[in-house]
Amino acid sequence: MLIRLTDIAKSYRLGRVDVRALDGVDLDVARGDFLALAGPSGSGKTTLLNLIGCIDKPSGGRIVLDGVDVTAVPLHRLAATRRDALGYIFQTFNLIPVLTAYENVEYPLLLANVPRRERDARVRRWLDQVGLSAQAKQRPDQLSGGQRQRVAIARAMVAEPKLVLADEPTANLDSDTAAHILDLLAKLNAETGTTFVFATHDPAVMARAHRLVRLHDGRVSHPAVAQVA
Amino acid sequence: MTARIAFRNVFRNRRRSAITLLVIVFGAVGLILFGGYKQQTFRGLRESTIRSRVGHLQVYKRGFATNEAKKPLDYGLDNVAALRRAIESDKRVKMTAAQVTLMGLVSNGEKSETFLATAVEPAKEKQMNGYRLTGGSDLPDNEPDAVILGRGLAASMHAKPGDYLTLMTTTSTGSLNATDVRVAGIFMSGVKEFDDRSVKMSLSGAQQLLQTKKVERLIVMLNETDDTAAVRADLARRIPGIEMKDWSELATFYHQVVLLYNGIFGFLGLIVSAIVVFSVANTILMSIFERTREIGTLMAMGTTRARVARMFLAEGLVIGVLGAIAGVVGGALLANAINHGHIMLPPPPGYTVGYPLRMLLSPSILITAAFISIVTATVSSIVPALKASRMKIVDALGHI
Repeated sequence: MLIRLTDIAKSYRLGRVDVRALDGVDLDVARGDFLALAGPSGSGKTTLLNLIGCIDKPSGGRIVLDGVDVTAVPLHRLAATRRDALGYIFQTFNLIPVLTAYENVEYPLLLANVPRRERDARVRRWLDQVGLSAQAKQRPDQLSGGQRQRVAIARAMVAEPKLVLADEPTANLDSDTAAHILDLLAKLNAETGTTFVFATHDPAVMARAHRLVRLHDGRVSHPAVAQVA
Repeated sequence: MTARIAFRNVFRNRRRSAITLLVIVFGAVGLILFGGYKQQTFRGLRESTIRSRVGHLQVYKRGFATNEAKKPLDYGLDNVAALRRAIESDKRVKMTAAQVTLMGLVSNGEKSETFLATAVEPAKEKQMNGYRLTGGSDLPDNEPDAVILGRGLAASMHAKPGDYLTLMTTTSTGSLNATDVRVAGIFMSGVKEFDDRSVKMSLSGAQQLLQTKKVERLIVMLNETDDTAAVRADLARRIPGIEMKDWSELATFYHQVVLLYNGIFGFLGLIVSAIVVFSVANTILMSIFERTREIGTLMAMGTTRARVARMFLAEGLVIGVLGAIAGVVGGALLANAINHGHIMLPPPPGYTVGYPLRMLLSPSILITAAFISIVTATVSSIVPALKASRMKIVDALGHI
């Protein structure tokens, strides 16, 4: 099991009101999963993704990531875990605007102190995988939405993480581009065995997911997990 | 990569960076001009004090400074010629000049005033060139009873070149003596209080009036001011029975000016630094605000807090380096233009003549200005950098 979430709760304050974003969520994610967290806005899917991605702390419960209880470690001490074990794909791509496509993909390898020659080979391979070798020297503002998301995918994959988290990865793309991106992600999942967890309310993503977990008002709907594929 | 991102981010919002750079350039130029003016003033004042008045070293008979003389020249130097030879044998010594100071009354028959005379060797005194003649001629080489008067004293005594006055003083044996002197010329030193009481006369005339062969001191002029300490140490080792003071111990006014200017320019420097600090900090804070989501992304990818902080410190450093380069070039060009502009400044307090505005462009001033610009800009980015590094990742990613 790559991820085990036990009785996860997350609440935060919005003005004077306590909002319970997650309440008693239990979830296991196996290695190689291609799982979608689905639900309407405010259902807690992005919050859950953030907790799995070690960028937020639960108010209660336990998260074990690859055998390590990450809830017991302060967030700022989890930078190495985020760097080595996790990849992120964002709805708004979140590329570094001052870096070229090549440099954006290279960044996680620099964080991991990968030697230059190996770094170059891996960046080129991943740019080739996402079909952007020709755009290596272009900056994000010179790329289309689909191309930017491909760069983001290459960036998430280049350090060969165990888990890639994608928050609404198709929300800012047209349907054709979104379909191509999903094809690419499914292909990478199949070829590399990397685990993918999506937060989405896009039916196309849900349709492609191998497992679908529906969230509603911060709880996992029952039946909790649908085996899609 | 940190440096690359920092460098490129500086040019991301060009207008804002340009304004910040302008502030740093303004600061660096200010430091160079202030520093250049200050150093030029110090050097000019130091050299004029040394070359026209006090010399690099003054040599006295041992005990001169610590013992109260009962009569004039009790602690005068007597074997001057031998002492001179010993001192001038050092190749770093340019010349020596014997002097005696005396005070007394000067009278024109109708009115008397106190005077403070410096008895000099006329030929040597001309080389020191510490005053400007405003009338008549300079002190003649071989006329013991000729004097030149300070402009204020001449005016007070209604004396003009060619007139005769009487000088009265106490001799080295304690009795009173007087002599008639011819006013050869009138001079001004630039210091009004000095010119109101000052007389210059020949050493031989003063020795006749004081009835002695002794001299009070030997002024030692060196080729290079920087050799002062070394020459002093050598002379102290080689020549017994003497004591010395160097120019720094004698140049009270110089030290007062240094203290005053350092205070003024230090305060101005603080203001300039504060402006640079706030400007750079504001730029980096604005940049952080605009890039909050980017910071969240970097941290979500595993960038450590320290690395995020370094990134913004590097931006401050880059701004500082660019500002320092432009500031040093701009400051050097402007200082050069001012030096060639022949701009005259009004006389400072206590002086009667103005002086040209000049900036000394030494490497140390340029390096100091660059160093302060870089350090200030980098230090300014510490607080914003820490703020960026302590962002909550989730909040940063959700920032709109």
